[in-house]
Amino acid sequence: MTSAVTIPRHGGTGERTAVAARARQVVKAYGSGETRVVALDQVDVDIARGRFTAIMGPSGSGKSTLMHCLAGLDTVSSGQIYLDETEITGLKDKKLTQLRRDRIGFIFQAYNLLPTLNALENITLPMDIAGRKPDKGWLSQVVETVGLASRLKHRPNQLSGGQQQRVAVARALAARPEIIFGDEPTGNLDSRAGAEVLGFLRRSVDELGQTMVMVTHDPVAASYADRVLYLADGRIVDEMFKPTADAVLDRMKDFDARGRTS
Amino acid sequence: MTVFKTSRRNFFAHKGRMALSAVAVMLSVAFVCGTLVFTDTMNTTFDKLFATTSSDVTVSPKAASTDDTPQSGRPESLPASLIDRTEKADGVKSAEGAVSSMNVTVVNSDNKNVGASNGAPTIAGNWTKNDLRSMEITAGHAPRGPTEAMVDADTADKHHLKMGDELRTIAVTGDFKAKIVGIATFKVTNPGAAIVYYDTATAQRELLGSTGRFTQINVTAAAGVTHTQLKANVSTVLTGSDEALKVQTQKELSDENQEGIGEFMNVIKYAMLGFAGIAFLVGIFLIINTFSMLVAQRTREIGLMRAIGSSRKQVNRSVLVEALFLGIVGSVLGVAAGVGIAIGLMKLMSAAGMHLSTADLTVKTVTPVIGLVLGVVVTVLAAYLPARRAGKVSPMAALRDAGTPADGKAGWIRGLIGLVLTGSGVAALFTAAGADKASDGALMLGAGVVLSLIGFVIIGPLLAGGVVRALSVVLLRAFGPVGRLAERNALRNPRRTGATGAALMIGLALVACLSVVGSSMVASATEELDKSVGTDFIIEGNQRIVPQAQKAIEDTPGMAHVTSYKMVEAKLTSPDGKTEDGDVTAADPTYASDLRRETIAGDLSAAYGKNAMSVGSLYAKKHGVQVGDTVTVAFKGGQSAKLKVAAITDDDTALDKGSRYLNVTTLEQYVPADKMPPNDMMFATAKDGQEKTAYTALKKSLDPYPQYQVRDQTDYKQQLKDQIGQLLNMVYGLLALAIIVAVLGVVNTLALSVVERTREIGLMRAIGLSRRQMRRMIRLESVVIALFGALLGLGLGMGWGATAHRLLALEGLKVLDIPWPTIIGVFIGSAFVGLFAALVPAFRAGRMNVLNAIATD
Repeated sequence: MTSAVTIPRHGGTGERTAVAARARQVVKAYGSGETRVVALDQVDVDIARGRFTAIMGPSGSGKSTLMHCLAGLDTVSSGQIYLDETEITGLKDKKLTQLRRDRIGFIFQAYNLLPTLNALENITLPMDIAGRKPDKGWLSQVVETVGLASRLKHRPNQLSGGQQQRVAVARALAARPEIIFGDEPTGNLDSRAGAEVLGFLRRSVDELGQTMVMVTHDPVAASYADRVLYLADGRIVDEMFKPTADAVLDRMKDFDARGRTS
Repeated sequence: MTVFKTSRRNFFAHKGRMALSAVAVMLSVAFVCGTLVFTDTMNTTFDKLFATTSSDVTVSPKAASTDDTPQSGRPESLPASLIDRTEKADGVKSAEGAVSSMNVTVVNSDNKNVGASNGAPTIAGNWTKNDLRSMEITAGHAPRGPTEAMVDADTADKHHLKMGDELRTIAVTGDFKAKIVGIATFKVTNPGAAIVYYDTATAQRELLGSTGRFTQINVTAAAGVTHTQLKANVSTVLTGSDEALKVQTQKELSDENQEGIGEFMNVIKYAMLGFAGIAFLVGIFLIINTFSMLVAQRTREIGLMRAIGSSRKQVNRSVLVEALFLGIVGSVLGVAAGVGIAIGLMKLMSAAGMHLSTADLTVKTVTPVIGLVLGVVVTVLAAYLPARRAGKVSPMAALRDAGTPADGKAGWIRGLIGLVLTGSGVAALFTAAGADKASDGALMLGAGVVLSLIGFVIIGPLLAGGVVRALSVVLLRAFGPVGRLAERNALRNPRRTGATGAALMIGLALVACLSVVGSSMVASATEELDKSVGTDFIIEGNQRIVPQAQKAIEDTPGMAHVTSYKMVEAKLTSPDGKTEDGDVTAADPTYASDLRRETIAGDLSAAYGKNAMSVGSLYAKKHGVQVGDTVTVAFKGGQSAKLKVAAITDDDTALDKGSRYLNVTTLEQYVPADKMPPNDMMFATAKDGQEKTAYTALKKSLDPYPQYQVRDQTDYKQQLKDQIGQLLNMVYGLLALAIIVAVLGVVNTLALSVVERTREIGLMRAIGLSRRQMRRMIRLESVVIALFGALLGLGLGMGWGATAHRLLALEGLKVLDIPWPTIIGVFIGSAFVGLFAALVPAFRAGRMNVLNAIATD
């Protein structure tokens, strides 16, 4: 089942570690004094390379914040975040933008695509912005994988929601980022389209060796991951390997119950 | 009431987005109000001035008029004996003779003109009791002998004149010198005339050339006698005098004076209001665009309102009420700013040497009313279309995912209407270009300009696609993916791009049109000068050439010949028995070589023979005049002469079109010396090879007469160019207002687009578009919109200009000269305008927080 294809990294920097990204004692707090709200409370986490990690947790648990911080979209109050061996906390906007462009891929819940560009243009946008030529062979392989070959010239408004998200997946994959972050990537889709997209994410991990981090509140989505991290009140409270939807659901219920009694 | 409340909340919730529209309304209203306040203030100033300078009743020669210099260069006068007669009338407290002439130049000891440089007159006269009404002596004393003079304080200040300085007055009757012994200060505002006083005898002798005469009698009423009564009494005692007189009350005289100024003021007023109108027109685009975008952004909200039971009418009305707020806020600010503009204009006029006092600032009640009504009505009308569109939003919109508003496609009906209008506009322009008579063509030109403008505005959105793509191929592709994104953004809503570009188009079309006309005029005149002018030097000035200056010119060494040139009014009776008024040009025979004219029949040199003349081809054709016919010419101030037509000149020319020539000696036979007009211009031709020294010598000869300028052909052409250039610059300056409003429109469109695309911007930043790239993308979009407007505007304007030139060609200005440097300069300038307009929106887009942008609902 696992393919021999691994992610060929551009400008590779020596030895590859088993950890694609890690957070050390990350604190994210809003406001100060009385109104201080802690969204992340001394979080330590390692994201394994070539694995599919899901982050779960109830609303307000800090799961999106954690992802945003790991992805260099948000700044932290204290602590360090490393992408591979690069510390991204403390990077200036310019460097951070470059890092996102060259080493990170994104899939958002909705509005992933620019309405003025067709599917193919959307897919190659990060590389175009960087002024890099996309690798033709890789690109067609990605397009093939997500099954969009016949729809490349379509504008986003001519595509269904599922197709749009697949274009977003293709865009994230095409630039060969070290890590792809998904923020509820199937949150806006019906279950069939959702399953389709999640299937592609899974395949990209299995067949292409992609590292994937996904925030979700859907146990079924989480069941596609290799590992599920549970966040509550800004802390990682549990994790589960090789999850199934039922197991995840049980664990969630468990949290809910504990949340209610405490 | 609820509609009102939601509108008010919306208005204040979006005050940032409304700000630029409010500024546009404000600017347009301010310009209108500023114009009104300024012209009203000018009128007040002159009113006060004329009211204080006019005596209770004034008696003056009938022929005297306030704005016309008399033909002979000497003011019309009446005999002193009339004063005694006037004094005998009932109710007269006193009657005093006054002398005043505006046909003078006064210079200081360095031969510098102390008169105003802005066209205000120099007035020389005697100091009378009547002058005490408007002035007081603030230094020294009134002049008491032939060598004493008094000047007004403003002139003294401006030219640093002190007591004891010598002034030389140059009149047609000769020069004379006097020392300043007094300075008089105006008690009211004197807008700029330079005033010099002498004692009565000196003024009579030197300005009128004869003692015992005055230019007017100032009559003061006894206590209890009204001006009208006094006028009747004075008229009664003066009936039967053999002089043709007019008797006017203070009000009548000041009204007459005011009338002369009023026409000039009206020209200024309507020209400026015209430009305000253009600014309003451009502002309309801005307002339509703003409301369209606000409605589009609020589609979901409006859908919700509809879903919970708002009627179409209510939604529609709520948008209009918002426009009403905008109109009121903009107009109120505009009225206030208008007063500021008026004060600014007055300061500007002061810098140009025209004295105006803010104490006279006149804000009539009607001014703010006009400003408010205009601003509010225009704003609400402009918002009508977007409001209607808002009303059409279905309740379903609330449920639908708003996302990015759908691309607005321009409908084919719109395209058809636009094409029809543009087509008829172009047809009208072609008809105008082919017209035989300028007057017929002018009407078609006007129709063509209006139709093609409206047509272009309507098809603008359709053109946007093609033009923006073409521009992008040339300009944006070089910027890679960022350029492509900018191109797509400019194209995503053609209606918006079209309207934004159209606003800029209007101003630039006018600039292009006028620059084509202006440079064609210069080129045509230059060509004509090259072709026909044979003389070396041209001498002219704002006072007709006084005999002593004429002598100085004639005595200049190194000249082959010097030509006199004067115009005299006459009534001409042609052989067909018809009589019409017309000027006749009396010149020396050498004029035929100074300005070469084509003749259709006869020999022009023969026209300078005894009792002969030439006529123009237009006149000859109109009255069937042939060479050898006799035309009866009744010269103004002289006798009738029967003159034989010796030549017919071709009137297909711009120089001296329609002129009728005769010899100065012929004129002298029929017009007595004291009625003989001084030369209007003179021409001098140097002996071969002495041109340079002759030019210097001629300038030196005219040193004592600074009111005259000598120009060789090169300088003359340059001056012509400068004059037209100056006029164009003024017009461009006024058009700048429309362009500023258009730029505000570009800023507004971009700013609202940035808000609308918040999520996209966030996405692009998340996937790695740097701030610089983001800013560049927005700048490029702005540049391409600006260039789109510029391209359309310049194209349209050049079409108008070329058509207008065809009409001018009928008047003899035949060369079409398209000023490419100006056109290209404006085009490149538009790119910078685009860059400038994008400054703030681009900055804001770059600063946008990535996370917030993604999270925006």
